[in-house]
Amino acid sequence: MTKSEKFQLVENYIIENQHAHYRLAYSYVKNKESSLDIIQDSILKALKSIDSLEHIQYLKTWFYRILINTSIDFMHKNKRMIVVEDEILDFHLPAEEMEVPDIDLYEAIDHLSPSQKTLIILRFFEDMKIEDIAKTLNVNQNTVKTRLYSTLRKLRSNMEKKVKA
Amino acid sequence: MSKLYESKKQYDDIEIPEELKQIVSRSIETAKMEKPKNSSTFKKWGAGVVAAAAIFVASVNMSPTLAQALSTVPVLGQIVHVVTFQEITIEEDTYNVDLKIPNVTGLTNKELENSLNEKYIAENKALYEGFQKEMEALKEVGGGHLGVVSTYEIVTDTDEILSISRYEANIVGSSSTTMRTDTIDKKNEVLITLPSLFKDKGYIETISTYIKDEMRKEMAADEMNMYWIASEEEIGFESIRPDQTFSITADHKLTISFDKYEVAPGSMGVITFEIPTDVIKEDLISDYYIK
Repeated sequence: MTKSEKFQLVENYIIENQHAHYRLAYSYVKNKESSLDIIQDSILKALKSIDSLEHIQYLKTWFYRILINTSIDFMHKNKRMIVVEDEILDFHLPAEEMEVPDIDLYEAIDHLSPSQKTLIILRFFEDMKIEDIAKTLNVNQNTVKTRLYSTLRKLRSNMEKKVKA
Repeated sequence: MSKLYESKKQYDDIEIPEELKQIVSRSIETAKMEKPKNSSTFKKWGAGVVAAAAIFVASVNMSPTLAQALSTVPVLGQIVHVVTFQEITIEEDTYNVDLKIPNVTGLTNKELENSLNEKYIAENKALYEGFQKEMEALKEVGGGHLGVVSTYEIVTDTDEILSISRYEANIVGSSSTTMRTDTIDKKNEVLITLPSLFKDKGYIETISTYIKDEMRKEMAADEMNMYWIASEEEIGFESIRPDQTFSITADHKLTISFDKYEVAPGSMGVITFEIPTDVIKEDLISDYYIK
């Protein structure tokens, strides 16, 4: 595969999956402008360091790694409270017919640390395999399993606390 | 678990703004205009500082007279002790090597000086040979991207103490960074090791306990901080190695460092803790180096 073919493949991938990428970025920073900034930065970083993508079959895990790191870096740099605009907040407020426990769960996920949140999003919202999560985060599969398990337990205990309170 | 899949719906419902499409295509165009380049792992070093250091180092290497002249300038004199080095670079398509080898000069204890310099050369030689082997292996299977970078930084340089940190970064897809530090007593011309500062092995426990407490405090204070601390169900940091990377600051404080990924996610980078002297007072042999 020539360099320009590789570039084309990555470019197509980025265009085709832009919605998923946006959602992932959004779930960290919770506002439109920051998410768009993250998308822009991630694309630039990815295409500029396209040589660091060794095998094209790792395209997804490679790009997700860049996206996640960029999102977390962004949060580090913008430690101040990120304000959610009112209309967006309204939009995201759960519809009334929804079951109450789900609302708590979605909220509980937001209260996890960025790394724990990453695990939940990749595994359950993005349906990524443990193997691919391990590749994305650059750790071994057992570590992913252990952390995922402890994150789930933390989620459960957080929610139990809430129910009691 | 079904609850989790239900909240996936909320995730999927995140609104996609109209601007996204435009931003994506604009970013791709911008990237196309700029030539692809390999990302450096040493973002902490400002470009200006690196450039200035490169010129300085180049001139010191090229001209012994200049080096001599600089060493008589009070401030620069101390730096010149470690600034001269060899540099190896290979720039070959998707393979690149950039090794910067520090060289200590000016010690009268030549045995110490030579053993340090030989160690630095050996470290870089091992990196280089490892790289060549991997490069050949990769070429056989059709190529790939590989990079290795080593550099160093003078952490402390006072009248008494000289501390040099060397960083190695391997870039295969993502990067890992390891750091090793040598601390030299300039007056007595001896290499200081971590165990040599303490009466017995008790320091391992004292420092580990302190660091674990600090990690917990930092995590509680800010959820952006993430450390892996060992517990019953989690694998993670248990205790420092007897020869854990350490350094002594200009104001005589002990610092302990961990490599990237050693105790925390990669986003935290290389991590350094300063240990308050009060914590280790009981374990120290003397207050000569650490006060």
